[in-house]
Amino acid sequence: MKKVAVLWLVGWLARPLPAQQFKFNLEHLEAKASDSVDVSLNGSTLQFAAKFLDDKDADEAKVKKLISGVDGIYVKSLSFHSDGAWSKADLDSIRAQLREPEWSRILGFKSVEDGETAEVFVRTQNKKITGVAILAAEPRELTVVNIVGAVDLDSLADLSGHFGLPKLEPAPAPRPKKQE
Amino acid sequence: MDWFEKELSRALERKDPPRGFAERVTARAAGQGGAPVETRSGRPRAFGLPRWLPVAAALLLIAGSGEQAWRRHQGMVAKQQVMLAMRITAGKLNHIQTHMREARQ
Repeated sequence: MKKVAVLWLVGWLARPLPAQQFKFNLEHLEAKASDSVDVSLNGSTLQFAAKFLDDKDADEAKVKKLISGVDGIYVKSLSFHSDGAWSKADLDSIRAQLREPEWSRILGFKSVEDGETAEVFVRTQNKKITGVAILAAEPRELTVVNIVGAVDLDSLADLSGHFGLPKLEPAPAPRPKKQE
Repeated sequence: MDWFEKELSRALERKDPPRGFAERVTARAAGQGGAPVETRSGRPRAFGLPRWLPVAAALLLIAGSGEQAWRRHQGMVAKQQVMLAMRITAGKLNHIQTHMREARQ
């Protein structure tokens, strides 16, 4: 019985801790960037930070609720002075890691006119969401986000309307076609 | 003067205290009031406690409050990092939602 307990303890201690779920591979662009933001927060740091989030503040209360089931948040955002600092290959190296069956792309848009692309991927295990990835690229900006853990997508989508961002009303339902 | 008055005046008549009475009373009063305990250095100890004890208590208090302030600082830094990460994420999601909405219309 003791042996089983010891083995279980060893196994529990040796379990892989939830960390970043894919590599950003953007280190080579950092030298070119005029501004860069790099945030790496593991689960224990998030829970520690949650103690300092004020429930009376609307933004902080929203974030506190969102991070309650999250094991890590990793963000890298690079801004550049000129176009063409990043290449399609940089995005492709990230996309290549976000493959099925683990990952599925739930949203994406591409604006040829503005040279913008944005995609949202969701990682699922046993029909449960275990991570979210966001890739957003503009001619002079590249942002990659990985939220690790049980992310509530509704709460995540509801972040607009906070942080000084305009609240997006749900899109009107498509009009039914007139029958002639 | 009857017998009772004689007895009363004898009982109340002034008597001098025995020799050394005043010195004995003064010495006892000084002993009960807590004569200062002499230390090896010859200085008196307050309440009989070692002199290093208040210094140690003060150091512990300073260290404790310093550690608490440091943890609070770390917490505030972590909070700012979380808020920054969420602000960036929210901004991107808002941008995506706006584009999706425009495309739908």
